Amino acid sequence: MTDLPDLELTLPARAENVGVIRHVLGAVAETLHVGDEQLDDMRLAVSEACANAVIHAYVDGAGLMEVRVRARMTDLEISVRDHGGGMAPRTDSPGLGVGLPLMATLAASMELIAPEGGGTEVRMRFPLPHESAGGPPRPAEHGTVTPGTPPAPGSADDARPRPLAESRERHP
Amino acid sequence: MTLGEPPAAASTPDPAAGRLDRTRATIAVGPLLAPVLARLVGMHAARAGLTVDRLDDAVLITDALADCAADALGASHLELSIQSAPGRIELRVGPLRPGAAQRLVDGTALPDTGPLMGLLADEVRVRVGAGGDEILLLRVDAQPSGPELASAG
Repeated sequence: MTDLPDLELTLPARAENVGVIRHVLGAVAETLHVGDEQLDDMRLAVSEACANAVIHAYVDGAGLMEVRVRARMTDLEISVRDHGGGMAPRTDSPGLGVGLPLMATLAASMELIAPEGGGTEVRMRFPLPHESAGGPPRPAEHGTVTPGTPPAPGSADDARPRPLAESRERHP
Repeated sequence: MTLGEPPAAASTPDPAAGRLDRTRATIAVGPLLAPVLARLVGMHAARAGLTVDRLDDAVLITDALADCAADALGASHLELSIQSAPGRIELRVGPLRPGAAQRLVDGTALPDTGPLMGLLADEVRVRVGAGGDEILLLRVDAQPSGPELASAG
């Protein structure tokens, strides 16, 4: 099993690309059978994170933003990272200052990370419905999970990836 | 359509190197691949001003790509970059293992018709890097070009 996320997008941190990410999240939600309300929350929170990258990360120029999506058994982890100057107070901020509280409210959990190499990473987790594109949890294989009984948040089983990637590695 | 371009002097682009004029995506080969690719490419095609028919062609190409990726790639993830400019969209799939680009193209073949990619794209080209890795380049223009495309309707 690879450690790569299920989806990684690297885009120019420009306002028009926030729409691209919102659109792609629709495909992720569709695949994972996420409900409309949950998708709205995800879109709003991720849009806020991306907007922060667009507005605040590269004050003096252009740069990239990275969005990573990783599906786990009970939740979806979405991180938004930029390579800008990092978190710093701005007296001239054009925003209302409600972005971070909004993200924290909409996501089941949110972390602000200062990654190696600079920039800012916002990592959010959203609960997923029990049924998924990869099928229900596989109790026979893992032993500790029964369908309809999701593992406790933060447990080892909770962190297991959903089978969204082909695990085979063939060398033709 | 151009296939099997000789090895390029330049090596394949470093996937970690970000460029400000394109979107780079790494997507797990599985149920996410087709819907995510379709939305990404559809959005870029719309932004490039492609007509609905040509946008549909571009999405059809990505559907075909996603459909044969599992068998052709031999890898768990597909990497590609998308670049749009007024009147055209360009996909660079890879880096791929040697031979994988041709397998991807051949994998989209229809009986008695040939590879779908060659029918719908205005350019299908394989670039081989110094290390043997390949990039499959697919371009869709706002206006289809060439007799093959005209007959493809």
